[in-house]
Amino acid sequence: MVASAQTVLRDAWSRLQQVDLIGGVVSDVLRGSGLNIADVDVVIDCGSDVLDGRSISNCGFLGAMGAHHKEESRVEEDGLFGAVYATTKVACGSASVALVLAYSKPSESDVSAYYSTLTEPFYQRALGLDQVSTAGLMANQYLTRTDADEEALLRIAERAWSRAAGNPWIEQSPDLGPEDVARSALVADPLRSLQIARPRDGAVAVLLASEPVARRLSDRPVWVTGMGSAMDSHLLSERLPGQLEACQVAAHMAMSRAGLKDASDVDLVEVTASSSATEAMVVEALGLAAVGHGVDCYADGAQVDVNPSGGAVPADPIMATGLVRLHEASARLAGRIGEGQPTRALAHGAGGLGMQNHCVFTLEV
Amino acid sequence: MPAVAIVGVGQTHHSRRRKDVSQVGLAREAVTRALEDAGLTMADIDSVVVCTGPVLFAAVNQPEKWLVDAIGARLKPVVRVTSGGGTGLAGALAAVNQVRAGFADRVLVVAYDKLSEGALQYSISTLYDPFWGREFAVGIMGFSAAYWRARMDVLGHTEEAAALVSVKNHKNAMLNPYAHVRKEVSVEDVLSSRPLCWPIKLLDVPPISDGACAVILASESAAKACLDPAWIRGMAYYCEAENAAYRSMIQSEPLTLAASRVYQQAGITNPRRQCDVVEVQEPFTCFELSYYEGLGLCPPGGAAELVASGATELTGDIPVNPSGGCMGANPIGATALIRLAEIAQQVRGRAGAHQVPDARVGLMQAGGGWANLRGVAVVSSEKG
Amino acid sequence: MTDGLVTSIDEAQVLTTTLSMPYTLTTGPAAGSFLFELGNHRILGSRCEVCSRTVVPPSDYCSRCGEAPDEFVQLPETGTVTALTRTDRGVLALIRLDGADADLLHRLDLAKGAVTVGTRVRAVWAATATQSVLDLDCFVLDEDDQPPGTAHPAGEVGLIAQVPHQLELEYQHSYGPHYGRLFDELASSRRILGSLCPTCRNVLVPPREFCDACFVRTGQHVDVSDHGVLQAFSVIHLEFVGQTRTPPYIYAEIVLDGSATRLIHTVAGFDVATAAERLSIGMPVRAVWKDPADCRGTLNDIDYFEPVPSPDQQ
Repeated sequence: MVASAQTVLRDAWSRLQQVDLIGGVVSDVLRGSGLNIADVDVVIDCGSDVLDGRSISNCGFLGAMGAHHKEESRVEEDGLFGAVYATTKVACGSASVALVLAYSKPSESDVSAYYSTLTEPFYQRALGLDQVSTAGLMANQYLTRTDADEEALLRIAERAWSRAAGNPWIEQSPDLGPEDVARSALVADPLRSLQIARPRDGAVAVLLASEPVARRLSDRPVWVTGMGSAMDSHLLSERLPGQLEACQVAAHMAMSRAGLKDASDVDLVEVTASSSATEAMVVEALGLAAVGHGVDCYADGAQVDVNPSGGAVPADPIMATGLVRLHEASARLAGRIGEGQPTRALAHGAGGLGMQNHCVFTLEV
Repeated sequence: MPAVAIVGVGQTHHSRRRKDVSQVGLAREAVTRALEDAGLTMADIDSVVVCTGPVLFAAVNQPEKWLVDAIGARLKPVVRVTSGGGTGLAGALAAVNQVRAGFADRVLVVAYDKLSEGALQYSISTLYDPFWGREFAVGIMGFSAAYWRARMDVLGHTEEAAALVSVKNHKNAMLNPYAHVRKEVSVEDVLSSRPLCWPIKLLDVPPISDGACAVILASESAAKACLDPAWIRGMAYYCEAENAAYRSMIQSEPLTLAASRVYQQAGITNPRRQCDVVEVQEPFTCFELSYYEGLGLCPPGGAAELVASGATELTGDIPVNPSGGCMGANPIGATALIRLAEIAQQVRGRAGAHQVPDARVGLMQAGGGWANLRGVAVVSSEKG
Repeated sequence: MTDGLVTSIDEAQVLTTTLSMPYTLTTGPAAGSFLFELGNHRILGSRCEVCSRTVVPPSDYCSRCGEAPDEFVQLPETGTVTALTRTDRGVLALIRLDGADADLLHRLDLAKGAVTVGTRVRAVWAATATQSVLDLDCFVLDEDDQPPGTAHPAGEVGLIAQVPHQLELEYQHSYGPHYGRLFDELASSRRILGSLCPTCRNVLVPPREFCDACFVRTGQHVDVSDHGVLQAFSVIHLEFVGQTRTPPYIYAEIVLDGSATRLIHTVAGFDVATAAERLSIGMPVRAVWKDPADCRGTLNDIDYFEPVPSPDQQ
């Protein structure tokens, strides 16, 4: 990974279109990378026709992606899955430089409808299942099936909001902070509104390059050491309650390829979550804490730094969220942002209702 | 680059309306057949790539999330690649890269659409910018007809030449047990058929189909168990911005780019001589004429003469669409993968009644969008 | 499809569009039988003997082994809540029906008393059947605390092969930095704007931030003519759901003088039946504008394009 960039994640980029967000972030990722658009061999993009209100929406945005007369494909999933495609393309020598980009403008549509259309239409859709009720059900399962309590879920969200307050790429709401989590509205009990991933507009782009190109461009390139992904059953009732089995499988796949024992072998972890409850379930699936004890990862002095960016709960640019995690993790490894000298990191992304699909990257400098 | 082979293919018996299976049940049928063909089970599959047309075709957003249980892929890597009508080939290319990079040894690509369930032209029309042109859109048919009309003047792609494509593909589909339109037509039938978007007439247009296709790709070591693998000798998928300055609407630049890259990979310098059989995705008859030229089977402006010569018939020297192409069945999201599966069956000698004798090298083309997404592949019985 | 409604949100204009799509969805044997039998006040599940699992609602394929289930079973109307959440749309719960090995997602009505995880509940049927999962209206507290029932083979079951469905998706598309000005000028001054690429010097209509081919920021808006050439056309006879015009009409792609890109519109002002003879590729055309009072800032402010009479016709 030789460069990455993101837009500010905000409530609404109301003065820009999707195509402007995309063009802007692609310009930003190229700037200072030592590469120009002509060096890019392939573009992999992640967005949603349903969020965009346009079929095959990539087809209309190709110019702004810098994809004109190049190989291009849309992975209609979280951007981290697009990064898997781009990495395989570079790894096998079919491309020297790959551009991955992901974007969402949920402010233009109804996010509940977006998630509702993800359900199969016969058993779930008429019941009104969406991302909020799914988060509530999964949190209830987590609390019922483990030793964790509501206090733990509040602590995780407060920590996320407190970290987000220090993240210049998340537009701050002056009237919202960690102290507001516990008094925010109970929207899907046991979860309060500030415990559920907050949809944001934004875009992110990452440049992946072959080893010779990466060594030429940077004295501290970030290497992809492992990737894994796994999809769980569609119906919530067919998944393991209180745990994210697919996340565990994806993480195992990535870490075994990277030669890592478990996630405690890394310095830094950036994870995606649909709520503070699923965030606990993710860190548990990664092996950072025992089941029901995810909150321990957020204690002061924890061995692995989890979500220094604040993660997805304060800012969730739906299709871009996982790729933002990869950007955050790699930028910290490369020393572009943050402090300390992390050398190994893990990034996690997810897609679908209730995080049905999981993807994990391991990185190293 | 490491070799990749097709070791199993399966497709459904396509039809206008399948009332007996759901969207995912339809996809499962093709998967079951591909696994049987390969002598594998889902336990042998490392990764799955799913391809369908746009979400609005079927009312289910990210349909792979629903499909996963129906194909027994739970807890495996599953990802959906979309690229309009060419999505099946774009997905196959993603799978080829997964195998080459060592991400997976065996990848299942499954592509499907159940077009009987939605409002086809309306959903395709949403391809257009809501601010700029959507109110004039007629799916992609109005656009396609308009540039066919333009190519008539420049390249001589006449209504009669396109009618010959329709006659040939309808005739070939008679031999294809998976095709759902099996009716011979004459040039006169085509020319006198009802205009839909003139110059496109009813018999220039493929049917609307429910159907699915699955292909299993394997690494060289995983392909050892397969007696008759079809080797991927080249594959590429290029795009162009749909409204860039002076976009060439007469000859497709992304098709030329994809073809030249694939020919280089496969060592092909004279496709007409070196390829034994061709499958192209012709959403309308006029496109098949364009592809002859874009793929270099004849010089620009030579397509009408090529089809009139009979060279592209099943018995000709460069048979195109022996399966009947889209004219026999057109479940859009599956169509590109069906072309790949058909060409693989040809070089494996398993195409049945529409087998081209001794076919060893097969060429296929697919694409989508505003004719701005174009892919090409060459498949061979020889690893190379 | 596009109703052209311009409203103001956060000072930034948006175009409101609604995608209103009709569907006929095929259920497949499991969902089709489940929905049918709900009408008979029967709750169906499916049984996989390989995995020794009974799931409700039934599935055509076992999520564990992938095989088709062995039989449909009928589940009792009672069960135990395993998870629930309350939102402003009501209460959703996962309910383990007696005799099932997986939960059923459904609605809870708390009118009869408090329900938590572990509470026994029973089904309430809707007054009228609509061939939907809501024919089972909801679950409520089982005040009688009936003993747990058991699953048994369902016997003959009916099937609803297909059900109607409707997607209604609404959007507020941002005009962004270019379309706002484009459509303001179109409506107020009959000016058509393009973007000038500083590298290739081509003018791109509609205006845009990046030149597609050069990938550089365009920067400058320039006027283009409302005259152009007909680059391509077809004659539309096809009728389809969602169509905004009545056939026959012309689909036209026009390159305006001074621009290098395609504009999609219609050509009219003559008998459409003569279009094939009357129109030719490359012929000059010009915009016919609507009355200024009727202009709303959309591409439709140009009523249509018409062939420019050739000198010998004037």
